[in-house]
Amino acid sequence: MAATEDQLARLSKVKDIITKASQELKSIEVNREIDLEFDVGNLLVTDKNTLDEEAVYDPDTRPAYLQSLARDGIQALMSKVWDLPSHTEDNAVFVTLPKTTTVLPREKPVPKEKALTKWEQFARDKGLTKKKKDKKVWDHILKRWVPRFGMKKVQADKEKNWVKEVPGNVDPYEDMFAKEKELKRERVAKNEYQRLRNIAKSRKLKVPNVGVTGNDLATSKDLGVAMHHSRFATASKGKFQPTLPNEQVPKGLGKKRKHEQITGDGRAEKKRYMEVLKKVEKNELNLSTAVHKQIREENIEADLAKKGGKKQLRRSKAGGRHRTRSDHRASKLGKGIHESRKQKISKIKAKQETGGLGLGKGRRTERTGGKGKKG
Amino acid sequence: MQRVVKPKNPRAKRALVKREPKIIENTKQCLFLHGKKTGEFMRKCIKDIYALKRQDSKLLQSQDQLLPFEDILPVERLAHEHDASLFAYATHSKKRPNNLILGRMFNHHILDLIELGVDNYLGLEDFKNKKITVGNKPCMVFCGTQFEDLVDYKNLKNILIDFFRGVEATDVRLQGFEHALLFTATDDTIYMRSYKILLKKSGTRIPRVELEEIGPCMDLKIRRTKFASDDLKKKACRQPKHLKIGKKKNQSRDVFGTKLGRIHMTKQDLGQLQTRKMKALKKSSAKAKATNNEASTSTAEPMEVSQE
Repeated sequence: MAATEDQLARLSKVKDIITKASQELKSIEVNREIDLEFDVGNLLVTDKNTLDEEAVYDPDTRPAYLQSLARDGIQALMSKVWDLPSHTEDNAVFVTLPKTTTVLPREKPVPKEKALTKWEQFARDKGLTKKKKDKKVWDHILKRWVPRFGMKKVQADKEKNWVKEVPGNVDPYEDMFAKEKELKRERVAKNEYQRLRNIAKSRKLKVPNVGVTGNDLATSKDLGVAMHHSRFATASKGKFQPTLPNEQVPKGLGKKRKHEQITGDGRAEKKRYMEVLKKVEKNELNLSTAVHKQIREENIEADLAKKGGKKQLRRSKAGGRHRTRSDHRASKLGKGIHESRKQKISKIKAKQETGGLGLGKGRRTERTGGKGKKG
Repeated sequence: MQRVVKPKNPRAKRALVKREPKIIENTKQCLFLHGKKTGEFMRKCIKDIYALKRQDSKLLQSQDQLLPFEDILPVERLAHEHDASLFAYATHSKKRPNNLILGRMFNHHILDLIELGVDNYLGLEDFKNKKITVGNKPCMVFCGTQFEDLVDYKNLKNILIDFFRGVEATDVRLQGFEHALLFTATDDTIYMRSYKILLKKSGTRIPRVELEEIGPCMDLKIRRTKFASDDLKKKACRQPKHLKIGKKKNQSRDVFGTKLGRIHMTKQDLGQLQTRKMKALKKSSAKAKATNNEASTSTAEPMEVSQE
């Protein structure tokens, strides 16, 4: 009896273990009403199912419910990820993620295609390839490896060129070392100029191409252009520039004046002339400007008559326009000149409407179309 | 590198090259900012989010009064200095308690701005368990229909993906899925939860996923928003042509694997083709005259030329 009881106990134990084990190996299935959407490249899961609002709002059930939502989402994602093509490296299995499908904005705009520089274009046309140069070069004279550039190279050069032979055709009193230095400076400057020229070209700016590179490299055509530039850069644009003895002014350079066509329909010409005429000959009388002008003149004269001064043809030393008495009064009151004038103008206009030009102590305020004073 | 003033050493050059616009971009850097009077709550919050995004972000010291919704220029300047295109700014005031502003830049100018209110916050230290490795790429789950229907929520989803996505990875280690972020949207709040992924044995090849909450956990409410205009959005989302895969037309492969091409020709006048000349078929001049006479008397029939 005891044995069977023991056996039963053991059986039940075994049953427990089996149920436990089966429980552990739970399913990896995720069943949802609306299928989940994935962006595997971003490891993103979108769940469009309606939520159990009660479970979410109740703070007691919320954590468990949210966790279950998350778990389902991640489980589905893992199923997708495990199905991707994989490869093993260093005892770890790697999975290649597909391209992302969510449209996210970039950080910076797409870079524009850079135009090729003059050299790059030449190299491409000729089919030249970039050859990797070694950092160090074997020097026969010094019998050691010398860097191709840098401080150590300069030192090595100094070692080599401690003496310089003076060739027969060169002036013996000329400083050869200084000459070398000068040539190097010229080369560096030329390189810098060409770099800046490339930048200017890529930014579509114009750069003069003569007079900077040096006489050795200029063709006769270039020299002609240089001469033209030097003449043109005078006050009279080369027209009254006296020529040097034996100087030949290069022909065909400079901007050609474009004349209009004599033949053909004269519509454009007519249009142009009519516009000019419109500006010059104004038949219309701008009433308000005429009125204001008249008023102003009279005011000034009246003022001057009172003050007993001469009409100032030039601008006053104090600066600014002539201010009449009432202008000053108005400014004292704090209203400003324009306000008082506005009131006066409205009075005049009212008078105009009734009859006749209401001249008198009218004050000009607003500038009628900006032409009052300038007109 | 087309700069008038050249960088003086290679290190400077490398820094400049890093900041240039590129076809394949760098990972978006994030700036974490907070004001002077934020209080411990928001500072803890921002530190925790910074901990999640450690690799690609910078936590700056307290800033002078910044009002991104009024004047965005100081923020833009900061972002430009640090070459960051994302930022998170935490503030606290009576009017806007526990405020968190998330922002996105395009070309060093503001693209999107969204202001969120933080509620029911539990930080990393409130969950006493082992956390994940730093810089882990998180799996993100977005629940709720609001993320598809409402404009604000849609934009917020986009911003959150941008924020937390991390590196644009191509190869991922299968054991490397450690972090999961959940965003659940209801009508008024968005619940953000953060979990650690545990992969358990299941009967099959694919593991069983279990989650353990590690924090931070917060409830967000959308306050103010300032999203980009449609054309700016379009400009920002423009992808370079190199990344687009175009179809190759007029090329095919037959069963044997030989490459076949298709050429489109203009219409050819078969009557004018240059062929071998057969003298026997040539019409002699006498015959030609006879046919001409015939043609002139009778009504000429139009010749039908078959054109294929």
